Formats: sequence, C-alpha cells, structure tokens
Amino acid sequence: MIWLLLKRIGQSIAVIVGVMILTFVLVHLEPGNTARAVLGFKATPARVAIFNNTYGLNRPLPVQFWLYCIHVLHGNLGVSYSALQPVSTLIAQRLPRDVVLIGLSTFLSLIIGLPMGLYQALHHGTLKDDVVAGTWFTLYSAPDFMEALILIAIFCVHFHIFQPSFPGGITTVGGLFEDPRAMVLPVVVLAINNVASYSQYMRSSAIEELAQDYIRTARAKGMRERMILTRHLLRNALLPIITILGLSLPDLVAGAVIAEAIFSFPGMGLLFWQSALSHDYPVLLGATLIIGIATIAGNLIADIAYGILDPRIRHAVA
Amino acid sequence: MRPFYRLTAGLAAVCLTTLVAACAAGHTTNVGSGSVVKGQKEKGGTVTLAEVGASPNFIFPLVPSTNSNGYNEDLTLGSWPYLVYSGDGSKSAPNPAENLYSSLTYTDNDSVVTIVLKPWMWSDGVPITSRDFTFVYNLLKWNYNDWFSYTTGLFPVNVKKVLTPNSHTIVLDLNRSWNPTFFTDDVLAAVPLLPQHAWDKTSLTGKVSNYDETKAGAKAVWNFLQKQGGDMGTFATNPLWKVVDGPWKISQFLSSGYYSWVPNKNYSGPDKPILNKVIWTPFTTDTAEMDTLRSGSSQIDVGYVPLNDVRQLPALESEGYSVAQVPSAGVAEILPNFYTPVAGLLLRQLYIRQAMEYLINRQQLVKTVFAGYADPGNGPVPTIYGQEWDSPLEKAGGLYQYNPTKAKQILAAHGWKVVPNGTDTCVRPGTGPTDCGTGITANEPLKFQLLFASGTTSFDQQNAAFQTTEALGGVHITLKSEPFNTLVSTTGTCNAKSHPAAICNDWQLEQYGYNEYGMDPSGSNMFNTDANGNYGGYSSPEMDKLINETEYGPSSSVFFQYEDYADQQLPLLWLPNPSNIIVYKSNLAGVTPLNPFSGTLNPEVWYYTKSSS
Repeated sequence: MIWLLLKRIGQSIAVIVGVMILTFVLVHLEPGNTARAVLGFKATPARVAIFNNTYGLNRPLPVQFWLYCIHVLHGNLGVSYSALQPVSTLIAQRLPRDVVLIGLSTFLSLIIGLPMGLYQALHHGTLKDDVVAGTWFTLYSAPDFMEALILIAIFCVHFHIFQPSFPGGITTVGGLFEDPRAMVLPVVVLAINNVASYSQYMRSSAIEELAQDYIRTARAKGMRERMILTRHLLRNALLPIITILGLSLPDLVAGAVIAEAIFSFPGMGLLFWQSALSHDYPVLLGATLIIGIATIAGNLIADIAYGILDPRIRHAVA
Repeated sequence: MRPFYRLTAGLAAVCLTTLVAACAAGHTTNVGSGSVVKGQKEKGGTVTLAEVGASPNFIFPLVPSTNSNGYNEDLTLGSWPYLVYSGDGSKSAPNPAENLYSSLTYTDNDSVVTIVLKPWMWSDGVPITSRDFTFVYNLLKWNYNDWFSYTTGLFPVNVKKVLTPNSHTIVLDLNRSWNPTFFTDDVLAAVPLLPQHAWDKTSLTGKVSNYDETKAGAKAVWNFLQKQGGDMGTFATNPLWKVVDGPWKISQFLSSGYYSWVPNKNYSGPDKPILNKVIWTPFTTDTAEMDTLRSGSSQIDVGYVPLNDVRQLPALESEGYSVAQVPSAGVAEILPNFYTPVAGLLLRQLYIRQAMEYLINRQQLVKTVFAGYADPGNGPVPTIYGQEWDSPLEKAGGLYQYNPTKAKQILAAHGWKVVPNGTDTCVRPGTGPTDCGTGITANEPLKFQLLFASGTTSFDQQNAAFQTTEALGGVHITLKSEPFNTLVSTTGTCNAKSHPAAICNDWQLEQYGYNEYGMDPSGSNMFNTDANGNYGGYSSPEMDKLINETEYGPSSSVFFQYEDYADQQLPLLWLPNPSNIIVYKSNLAGVTPLNPFSGTLNPEVWYYTKSSS
C-alpha cells in the first residue's frame, strides 16, 4: 500500500509540472496583446511598456516561466492584473465558498441520488424504474442555465420565496448564510444533474450486486431483506460511487461557472472565466494549478479509499 | 461601461427650493426634470446601489497608468471631486455651485489662467488652499507618465509655471494660448485637489512635509500614495483617506467590491447629504442584478437595467421603481481602418463612406434595437444632451440620413455596378471623378468584415441590421464577434506610422461601443492625424486645422465648423449611442435629471419621501 502511495505521489508531481508547462504555454498562445487587453484602447506605447515592465512581460517566455516556477515554489502565485491583489488571496477568498456550495450540492445529490438508485435497482424493469429514470434523465439533459432561469422565474420573480443572488458584502464563508434564501437555488440547480448521475451509477452497481451469489446466499439463509440491503448490498454497491466522488473533488475547487454567473456567486468558476476574458494570466495560471492539484489529489484519494474499502485491490497490490 | 453617472449638482438648488415649497404646500414635490414626488422629505435612510460587472480596486484619485478600472472613479469622486465639476443639470457645462473655484480668468491671449478657490474646508477642518493645487501639480509634474488620465501634451506638461500669490489664488502660466472652454472643460475637469497637509509624506507614520517640491520627494510621495491606494484592505481605515473635500467619506470597503459612504459632516459645498448612508453592492452579471430587481428584494434601491431587458421596465415599475435614462457622454461609431490592405483603399474613398452612412437606418436602430433609449448619432456630437454644442446641421439630423436610393446613386456614379442584396463590383477603375478611385481594381467587390464586441445582445441586433441595410446598396458585410478584451488586444491604432503592422491588417471595420467625451465634445485626440485615439488612421489637414482651432484658438464659433466638417468627412460611420437606463425606488427623490459626465450618481441630493397620507 505504501509503495502504491509513493508511486502515485511521484506520478502526481510529474503531472503537476506537466500541467504548469502546458497551461503556461497555452495561456501565452492566446491571441492579442495582454497590456492592451488590460489597459484598453487608451493604451499608448509608453503605457504598454510600463505595464510589460511592471509584470515582467517584456522578458523571454522561458525566463518568465522559470520565474513563475520559482515564485510558485515560494508560494507566490503572482498578482492579478485586474484586481491588483495577490492571486493566492483571490483564490483563498473564493475557494472555501465553492467548497461549501459544491459540497452542499453534492451532499444533497447523494442523499437523494443513492436511495433513488437503490429504489430503481430493487424495482428494476418495472414502470417505477422507468418513471424515475425518465424524470432524472430529463433534468440531466436540461442545461444548467435553463434550469436556473426557470427556477428563478418561479421562486424568485413570481413567488418571491428565494433570493436570486447573494448579498454583495460576502467576504467569509459564514456570510454565505447571511440570507439562507440565496443559497437554496444554486445548491438545487447544481444538485439536479448530480442526482441523475449518482442514482444511475447506484442503480447499475446495485443491480450487478443483487445478482451476486452472496446476496442469494444471504437470502437463502433467511436474512431479512433490510439487513441484506444495508449490511451487504449497500457497502459493495457504493464502491463505484467512491471513485466518482473522488473524481468530483476538482469541482469543489473549480466551481461552477454558469451557476456562479447566474446567481452572482463570487466563486472560483467566475474568477476563472472573468480572468480568461480579461487576459489575467496570473489568475488563470494560479487557478489552473490549484484545479490540477485538486484533480490529482481526488484521484489519489479515490484510489486509496478504494484500496481501503476493497480488500481485493489491497491484496492485489501487495 | 459604467452603469451609473453622476447626477447634476446644479439640480441641488432646484431640489431644495422645490422641496421647501413642497413641504409648505401639500407634500407634492417637483424634482429635477419635473418628475413629481409625493410626500414629505425624510431625513436619513440608506440607499443601496447596484454595481455590475466589476468593482473599484484603487482609492488614490491619481490612478496609475497600469490601472484602467473605470469603477475607481465611482469610489473616489464623492470624496475628492475635480476642480471643475462636470455637468450643470443635463447641460454640458461646469456647475458653478459645485466647482471648487469661484472664478477662473483667462488673460494674455489665453495663455495665463487665474483660478480663485472657494473658501471651503477639508473634512478635518483645514482650509482648502492653493497649496493643495500645487501639491497635485508637483506630483503629476514628475509622475505624469504613470498617471492614467494623462493625455499627451495636456496637463501638467502644458503648464510652464504655477504661481500662488495668496492662499486661495493660483496662476497657471501655460505653454501657449489655449481655447478657454476646452482648457476648462476637458483639461481642468480632470484635476482634483488633494490635501497636501495630510498626504505629503512618504510613510504612514512619517511627518508631513514639503516633499513634493523636489523631484525625488515628489516621486517618493507618489510611490507611497500609489502603494497605499492599492491596499484594498485599508480603504476604509487608512487615515489618509479620511481627509476628504467631497460630500462623502468611505465607511466600509470589502474586497468583494462592496462599499459604503457616510456623509462628510464638514462638507463645505451646497449639497449636504440628506441620507445617512449609501451602499454600493456588486453583482457579477447584469442578469443576476436584474433577477434581484425582479424578485421584489430590498437589496437594491437604485439599479441598472441592460437595454436587452427594457421590456421588463413595466414589471419593475409595478415593483415600486421609477425609470430614468442617462445619456452616454460620447460618440458611437463603426470604425473604418484606412490602412488595412485592399479594404483600406476602399474605405479611404469618401463617397464609399457616404454611401455606407446613407445605408444605416439610425432612426430605426434607435427605435427597435435601443427601444428609444439612445442618441440618434447624427454626427460627431450627441444631440440628446448638451445641445449647446450641436450645430444646426446636427440638430437637423446630420448630412447622411437613411436613404438607400441616394447610396446606390453615389456608388453607380463612381463606377460601381450596384447589385442590391448582392455584392457591388467596380466596373470603372481609375482615378477620375466618376471612377472607383485610387488603387481600386476592376471587378473589385465592395465587401468588408465588421469585427465587433460580443456579449451584448443590442450590439448583435444593431450589427445584423447594419448588415441587412448595407446589403440594400450592394455593400456586402460579414460579421465577426470577439470578446471585448480580445478585440482590444488584437487591434491597434493604425496610421501611417504603424502601417503595415500585422495588428492593423486583421480588421477592416470595428464596432465596440463608444468613445468618451468630456464636457467639450472636441475631436481632439480622436480625429487629428497621429492622435492616439485615431485608431483607423483617418488623416486630413483641414480636420487637423479645425481641431487645433477648437483646442488652441480664442473663438468658440469654430466648433460648429469642425463639427460640420467631421460630420461630412465621416472619419467614423456614425451610429446611435445607447443610453444607460436606471431604475430607482419611487419614494426616492432627487435622482433625476442625471448628469452624463461623471463616474457616479450624486446621492448627496437624494432623499426619501414619507407618505403624505
């Protein structure tokens, strides 16, 4: 297990370096002049020169990359061209909010999706299964923004029940709950797609497990159905969900661009999108690096969890 | 684009007068442009304004050249107003009541300006003096290249010497004669006064001295203030920013862009704030802001309505909002690139630009695309505000009102085979008066690509309509959209010097919004040869001469000559310029009429009304 862990950590470092190189090159391949994009039409050549000098953009690209790496190793992700704040500060402000938003929506998806999937598996091939699957697939197929706008139209504009946007003065995670009515719709919109996904994974996994010998044996031994489900079926059927949860870790960090834009949620997704539009390279690079690290960490955690939960994996590696 | 514009301050006297009358006579107040507000004036209260898209990130009023965030002016203007207050009601003129000077006199062939300051005070009780002006001048004199508002050749480099004969008089010895209106309206209107007695230092704990009087000292002070000005965590707490001369002080600032103002109790100006507090709350997108307005939430008292959502106005009115329009101070256009290969040769022909302008149905655009909320774009000067600058020609609709027949006649008369809804081709190449013109070859098609900023539905609609109506004259337009920042970053100023740089080869026609004007809507820095803002490379000795006269000459009458010449010459294809639409709570008085010039509304003249029941 330790060897597996060390191997994976080594691979992860290599991948992170690759991500840094790739994103640095891609970001600098973006057409246009960064100084002009930031300074606007008023940018005189003198002003462009000052900008380039201030941010080191007049240096050769390999030198810029080398300096970037040195700074990253010292924990310095640079300064945003447009917000004039350290990138690490911008990320530190937004990241916890996304963890809360995406975390809540994931939790909601799980508590709805898993029982739903189990229910479908137990009623496999019946009308009940088809109705539930059809409903969630319909919601899954609908784009986020459409669901968000419909929910806003119904619950905010028409009935005035929820808030369509977050209060402007949020600086802390606790501030997100200053007006809890603002939190409801973003969480629901993000959960809708995940419910479909989790329930279908759970359904497939449970159907597969229900056909296994150990379930038949348990039933033959006269074990109560409830015990079979909770003690045997659920534990085994949840294994694929662990992988999916691990892979969804980057979402916690990357945020959700569309939902954040519609609900005026100051998270990572919006930061990334706005930075891409305004050629704010330091933020793009910083955010990509953090998302890359989260992706790798998610995979690693999923692998480790899988190994812990499934002895076959552990023994195979050993 | 900033959603809010500063209210006319001259309105204040009108408001207060009418208010007194209203209180005495039945609780009905005529406010500003005549909107009727029922009820009694209520002292105090909080107003929350929506700020969409971005938020301020710098508080020192002399913003560095690398910071192009227009929202900073929203933050600072209420605390440190300019020497010349732009906008008198909806008039394009300085506001006598709000100006920081009591008189401004031009002598010696308009090469010497004498400014007498009003006997006003800083918020800490110290008088505002001529030393505060020299402080600003000294800082800029040694640092103007790092000042975002610096325009080549203007303040401070056009000042040879500054004298201060007494504590309230400033004499500027200029480097030449300047047109007084231009100098007042477009030069001095960008210069604030700053508290030398509090800011002339190089560290927070250091003592105030006359550091600004030497180059090294001025640079040290500049660097210190720049550093403090960017420290967002201390905007509301730094003692520097507590010394103000405007009606408001910043009381809270969060890194999210949320901030608030409270009244400066020692404000010397005529409009002492009536409200207790003003809050600016950021929204990431206008969609989010519109949804909040529609939700009946109390989060927004004054908000911005995107033109795409004008159909929502009746619903907002039913939610208790009133509607006002704020003209955009500037000129909207399609920018021709005179230096792009092939298409540049076509666009250099005045008759082609004339035909294209005849094919723009501006009235229809105003009506259908902008729902009536736009300047018609008759020429280089707007007509829905500042009518004193409009020549009779512009007031009458300009030279090139929509006329496809005339457009086709012009093209046919210059050797083009006109194919409506197809593509015209040159059949008479040559340089004669009835030929296509220099460099245009036989069978050359009359076609252009219009590059425009994406993300604004009204622009999409406008440009689609442009494409359709140009086709009526056989001018084939293809449309290409890019995000605004990409568009800015991939196009450059194209003129004889920059040509044939690649950055000038990739665009032919461009549309991105509008060019801003100061109070004097001069073509300076826009249409003169080699001006930095002359992005398409238009060049005409006559235009240069007329612009120089509006900038340096003694007469104001030359302005109309310039205006009519620019209208006729079409350095840009004129387009309607959409206004900003705001909604405000119906029990909030004093909001209208709105001043198109300054960066913010001026809530110092706003007040809530009590129900008269």
